[in-house]
Amino acid sequence: MQKIEKNCALQNEKIIELAGYKKEDFSVCLGCKICASVCTVNDLSINTNPQELLSSLFLGNTIEKDNPLVRYCTNCYRCTSACPWKIRIPEVVRALREDLGIESQFEKAFKGAISIWGRVYEPYVFLMSATFMLKEGYMQYMPKWLEYISFHLPHKTKRR
Amino acid sequence: MNILIVGGGISGISAAKVALKGNHNVTILECAAEPGGLMEKIANCRVGFKTFFDEIRHDPKLTVIKGGKIIGVEKRDGMFEVKLESGNSIYADRVIVATGLSPFDPKEIKGKRIITSLEYDALIDQRNEELPAQFGKVAFVLCIGSRSKEYPLCSSVCCSYTIREIKWTLQRAKPEITVFYNDLRFFGQEFYMEKAFRDAGVTFVRANSRYFEEDEKGVSVRYFTGGELKEERFDYVVLSIGLRPNPQLVPLSKLFGFSLNGFGFVKEEAPLRTDVEGVYVSGGALEPMSIKDAILTGFGAGMIAIRNGDFPSEAIRNDERFYREPEPEITTPDGNFSSCLFYLGTEDTGARMFYEFVSAKFIAMARDLKKAGKIVYVLTKNMVTPSYGELVYEDARREGIVFIHLEEGEIVTFDGDQARITGLKREFVLNAGKVIRFDDYAYLFKEKEFLSLYRSEPQLRWSPTKWGRKRYHVGFIRHPRAERWETREILGALGEILLDMEEERVLPEVNEERCSGCGSCKDACPHDAIEMEIREKQIALFGPQVMSNVPIARVKEDACVGCGLCASTCPSDVIHFNSV
Repeated sequence: MQKIEKNCALQNEKIIELAGYKKEDFSVCLGCKICASVCTVNDLSINTNPQELLSSLFLGNTIEKDNPLVRYCTNCYRCTSACPWKIRIPEVVRALREDLGIESQFEKAFKGAISIWGRVYEPYVFLMSATFMLKEGYMQYMPKWLEYISFHLPHKTKRR
Repeated sequence: MNILIVGGGISGISAAKVALKGNHNVTILECAAEPGGLMEKIANCRVGFKTFFDEIRHDPKLTVIKGGKIIGVEKRDGMFEVKLESGNSIYADRVIVATGLSPFDPKEIKGKRIITSLEYDALIDQRNEELPAQFGKVAFVLCIGSRSKEYPLCSSVCCSYTIREIKWTLQRAKPEITVFYNDLRFFGQEFYMEKAFRDAGVTFVRANSRYFEEDEKGVSVRYFTGGELKEERFDYVVLSIGLRPNPQLVPLSKLFGFSLNGFGFVKEEAPLRTDVEGVYVSGGALEPMSIKDAILTGFGAGMIAIRNGDFPSEAIRNDERFYREPEPEITTPDGNFSSCLFYLGTEDTGARMFYEFVSAKFIAMARDLKKAGKIVYVLTKNMVTPSYGELVYEDARREGIVFIHLEEGEIVTFDGDQARITGLKREFVLNAGKVIRFDDYAYLFKEKEFLSLYRSEPQLRWSPTKWGRKRYHVGFIRHPRAERWETREILGALGEILLDMEEERVLPEVNEERCSGCGSCKDACPHDAIEMEIREKQIALFGPQVMSNVPIARVKEDACVGCGLCASTCPSDVIHFNSV
């Protein structure tokens, strides 16, 4: 039991490292829950509390894949701008996604381009994530887009 | 000696009072049109300030310069020549900086119905005959403009001010009140007020919010509590604004040459002294503080200015009028445990006033244990670390001590080394090798005569250290808090003793010849100031040589307040106020 807990704690240390900031930049949290009051995920009427994400990180609890924040966070930084201590919670969410392996191919390619050239190099991004973009992105939403621009395929009508 | 006081707020006036009593010439320099400062802006404190100021207003040794602005200062032979914009100059031997605090302006979130606490104060002022038409629901939001990255100090008065605003509101109307707080940092008996208001239906929510959507009819506030997001409409949202250092301190520090600390407050070289000789400091120029503390430090600064800056020697400090008690030593537990859990919370309302002391001790202990490489959890109901104490709390958070903030209605039950936290929506268990609770230290405060426990708020405000005419409480036994306060309190008490000393008192006198010793005055006295003494007395009835032991009334000087009830009760009219 204790061993598992220790593993979790180690895992959480790794997540903080991945987030790119020092641990103390996150642990300075006051627990005021201002972040939850402005969070856009809460606009979807899903109850989520970014502060709890931080506290479970420090308590050494595991954060599941289906945590609403991990799934739906748009990295809008509304929480950070409202936070009295300007804690960058989206960085933690990004690190969590990376750690749990639920980053999309596009995100990986985007980050890869930046780590290689320090800027976005579109051909590389497109090459690396073409299948994803076509399957999950463009192709999936194509019918909806067409509807949106009020384009309908012609219906066949029977003539009498 | 000429003493110049920069700032005519409550602290400056207190300092002036002590200096005038010490028979010195005092000049108060006020930049506004009238003295008053922040206290004047609070409707219910205005009268208190006026009464306090009226006592010295017409003193011939006092000069008040209104609307004054300093343009230059020259120092020659320990004498300050202060040049004013009007062309006049003031010569002063000592200068007391009492510039006070300036309230934070939350420009970004303010609106028509989202108002600051000072604006709200003007709204519920007794002089307004009617309250606004829509006044059914009011929300108070604490910690605006303090305890943040930009300004990490706690303003230490906003919580107390909010609880008073609730009181003043409930005196006039019965709106539904909700308080959004981070920590409730009350002083002394305000915890009883909190409990009374809770019982009266005021809702306290341990969550803060920055989601305010205002329209013409009200404000929607979103907040997260009990595991879910709630949205509620209020008629008014009151932002309890923090207090920042006065921006005028920057030019003043350049003129007089004293230095400021990183937050913009005056650097306190020694108690109530700046690093320039002859310049002293009091009140809000030191740190965010309440009116009572501003008066206390005002008395102290006045005292140290007339004592030429030397801190009272041991002989004075050990004066028998000072009642001191050593602070109990709390040692960090050591032992073979890998994790430790502190529980800062108590159900005993009377013990809550010691949150401030215990919070500081717990943080110190937690930091020690963390340095020793242990895992430390702190379960907090209410972490009370006002003003500079907040910096220590911040360091503790940065060091990686895990603080778990309990919401309203969450209960902690201990089972050996296991702490189970049960709330409305969440339930979890913490295991720790060692558990330290607030209640373990409650014995420290049992059967001790803390001044703040026995005195009501106005009594503590106007006479901050006085227990009785021969007893002045300083340090731990006045009110347990940070160490730097003890020396300030000693100075303040010295000032208060000076103010008390020459006060003219008229004591009733008993005509011992005629007193029959009936004891009716003793029964009448509300202050227990009369005792019956057995004395030998000649009884005229039985001839000149006959002596007998009879009771005679005697007035106890310490306890008598001179109300005159004894004189009016005496059936044989033997008690008189002679000087009248």
